[in-house]
Amino acid sequence: MTFKQRRPALLIAFAVLVAGCSAPPPTSGSTTSTLRYVAAGSPAAASNDPHGGLANESDALRFSLLYDVLTVPGDDGTAKPRLAASWEPDRTLTRWTFRLRPEATFTDGRPVRAADVLYSLRRIERKAAENYGRLASFDTRASTAPDDHTVVLVSRMPNALAPEALESVTFVVPEGSEDFGKPVAGSGPYQMAGGDAQTAVLKRNPKWWGSHPSLDGVEIRAVADPQARAAAVTSGQADVAGSVSPAAAKAAGTGVRVVRRTPVTEYPFVMRLDRKPFDDPRVREAFKLAADRRALVDTVFLGYGKVANDLPTPYDASYPEDLAQRPRDVARAKELLTAAGHADGLEVTLLTTTSYPGMDAAATLYARQLADVGVTATVRNEPPDTYFTNVWSKADFYTGYFGGIPFTDVARVALLSKSPTNETAWKRPAWDKAFTEALAVRDDADRNGRLGALQKELWKDGGYVVWGLGEGLDLTSPAVHGLPTGPGFQRFLLDGVRLGDAG
Amino acid sequence: MPFSVPTGLPRAVLAPLRAAVLLLAVSIAVFAATELLPGDAADAVGAGRASAAQLAELRAERGLDRPGWERWAGWAWALLHGDAGRSLLTGRPVLDLVGGRLPATAVLAASAFGLTALLVLLGCALAGRRALRRPGDAGGGLATALTAVPQVVVAAALAALLSGVLGWVPPVSLLPPGGGPPDPSILLLPVLTLALPSAAFGVALLGGVVADALRRPYVTDALIRGVPTGRILRRHVAPVLAAPALRVLAVVVGGLTAGSALVETVFGYAGAGELLVSSVAVRDTPVVQFLGLGSAAAVLAVLLLADLVPVRRTS
Repeated sequence: MTFKQRRPALLIAFAVLVAGCSAPPPTSGSTTSTLRYVAAGSPAAASNDPHGGLANESDALRFSLLYDVLTVPGDDGTAKPRLAASWEPDRTLTRWTFRLRPEATFTDGRPVRAADVLYSLRRIERKAAENYGRLASFDTRASTAPDDHTVVLVSRMPNALAPEALESVTFVVPEGSEDFGKPVAGSGPYQMAGGDAQTAVLKRNPKWWGSHPSLDGVEIRAVADPQARAAAVTSGQADVAGSVSPAAAKAAGTGVRVVRRTPVTEYPFVMRLDRKPFDDPRVREAFKLAADRRALVDTVFLGYGKVANDLPTPYDASYPEDLAQRPRDVARAKELLTAAGHADGLEVTLLTTTSYPGMDAAATLYARQLADVGVTATVRNEPPDTYFTNVWSKADFYTGYFGGIPFTDVARVALLSKSPTNETAWKRPAWDKAFTEALAVRDDADRNGRLGALQKELWKDGGYVVWGLGEGLDLTSPAVHGLPTGPGFQRFLLDGVRLGDAG
Repeated sequence: MPFSVPTGLPRAVLAPLRAAVLLLAVSIAVFAATELLPGDAADAVGAGRASAAQLAELRAERGLDRPGWERWAGWAWALLHGDAGRSLLTGRPVLDLVGGRLPATAVLAASAFGLTALLVLLGCALAGRRALRRPGDAGGGLATALTAVPQVVVAAALAALLSGVLGWVPPVSLLPPGGGPPDPSILLLPVLTLALPSAAFGVALLGGVVADALRRPYVTDALIRGVPTGRILRRHVAPVLAAPALRVLAVVVGGLTAGSALVETVFGYAGAGELLVSSVAVRDTPVVQFLGLGSAAAVLAVLLLADLVPVRRTS
């Protein structure tokens, strides 16, 4: 998710600050309940193709309302049925049979068939370059559709978490859809009623198979600047502002409600194990011990978050709960650095950017904390336009980003020897092997225990300083009820949202 | 007088020709500038997570693996045949993207231009009155000072005052989804931000011309003779002012076109200027090219029009 932050944000922030909480916004008293949602997204990048990168939250939200997906994340961390009503693996966990809801139809009247699902999944796999290999663990070519309502999905390796891997992003379009210059028909709870990719007007799809959602319509606007989104709600131009900055939430005032989502936003400091000085495990541990995590959370997330323990996915079901929190220990860090031959000090450059609010503040504060253990860290702020192509996954020491993906996904994109963006150069064949084996374990407790053990190894030796997790923050008018608070794509499921009386 | 007004025919032929050459130069300059920026649309699509092989694949799909001049020539040839191409990022037709934004920018630019013309007229009237009352004073200091204020500062000050302190208008200007005319309250901040500096610029340039015209002996003479002021303005001042005023307004149109990119971005007003800025950020060359060429054409057309109005000098 890399939408760019706009510089003039400061101006609007200033105006909002002056406005303070003086003007309570008019609450929408209209009889038809249409939710006006201002979502994060670059309007120029607004797309009609649900199988691309989904970098715009405004796109992801629209697709989640227009299209059905096979499974959705449940509150307990396991996949729940959506278009797929039920599923069953074979004994090897490599062939999964999904049964589709027979009553699902596209808005153009055609039924949703297994062929449409297969076509969509193959298209997602084919566009791997754009969507980070989202379905790389499946062999969609070898997958089949034995009848109109059954799909047999082939996994490249035994995978007990196949239904979870299909959550939220398996948007189903009609077979043969090739031109996404205009939106194609979907089978989701809403349908397009006007507008375009950047400002979309959606109305309820009366023929949707699921239970009747409360909202008659949803208007989605893509606005890149987080301050502008917040201002839209405080000035009564919108009902929901998605993903606002902690500062905007703090300044929100009385006429506006802050919805705090499960904390999953991370700006870890990334150290490369194959470059000096981070090739020495003592240096890595010293850098982890130098972090004053509480101070970072309070400064960067303004308290909307919690301290983390150098593991990227503490919200995952496989997180080793028995792991002790790493404390700040300046004396021990100095000892380790001395032992590593840096008794006279150590100079490093820490790169950061302003893509997400607070990334630069995090680096600046951490550099000061590193000074306490004798490390001179020079912070260099890089332009957000090119940070994710020039710095991310390339530099020795920089401020990274994770936004709430499960541990298995983090492992696939960043921790296996062959991961495309193995940013810490964590290359351990034994770890890779144990990961693959763990995924083939059907028993949840057993599998989570094995995945937890892998995370403990990462905690001890890995290249991530994960100091805290920030909450996702949405602003709403008081009339909005039931906005989802789960992490990741759960926030786009508006089935349970309703517009009622303020209060 | 004979030198300042060339004969009609060559001018009518030359001017459009010159405009065409200028447009060609603009399109090459815009293309070259986009090329010189680090990264391309494939980088933006891959968002840092694509491997080298995948990036090569994305480039090939979009024709970005071909040399720059070939891509420019292909683009220009297609445009001449009425095909503006598709966005490299989303595959949406460029005409759809720009067409969706044009009405909003047209409303904004027209309102700003109207207000600018009004303010310039008012400013010139004030400058004229001042010249008559205090003949020795050069004047124009305020207008010149206002011209020097960066537009982004004007935007901040207006937003802080009108939205922050007074609470009259929202600090962001979100357009209604699905089209339709924008609410006047959301237009106020962007229009004022565009019009105030433009008007100051116009008055700074034209105020002196007005003062000069009023200080001419025959005007002073007419005033002494008791000729009504309205008649003096109409017969002796307006004709002198017409040509420079048109030129200045033509330049103002150029300024508004450039300013709309900044103002739309600052206030979140989803017009063509905002599209240009965000398309540059993601290196979406076909969109940038089309918008760059479009704004250049608009400015050139107005300049051409101003050029065709003959200059009249008082003898």
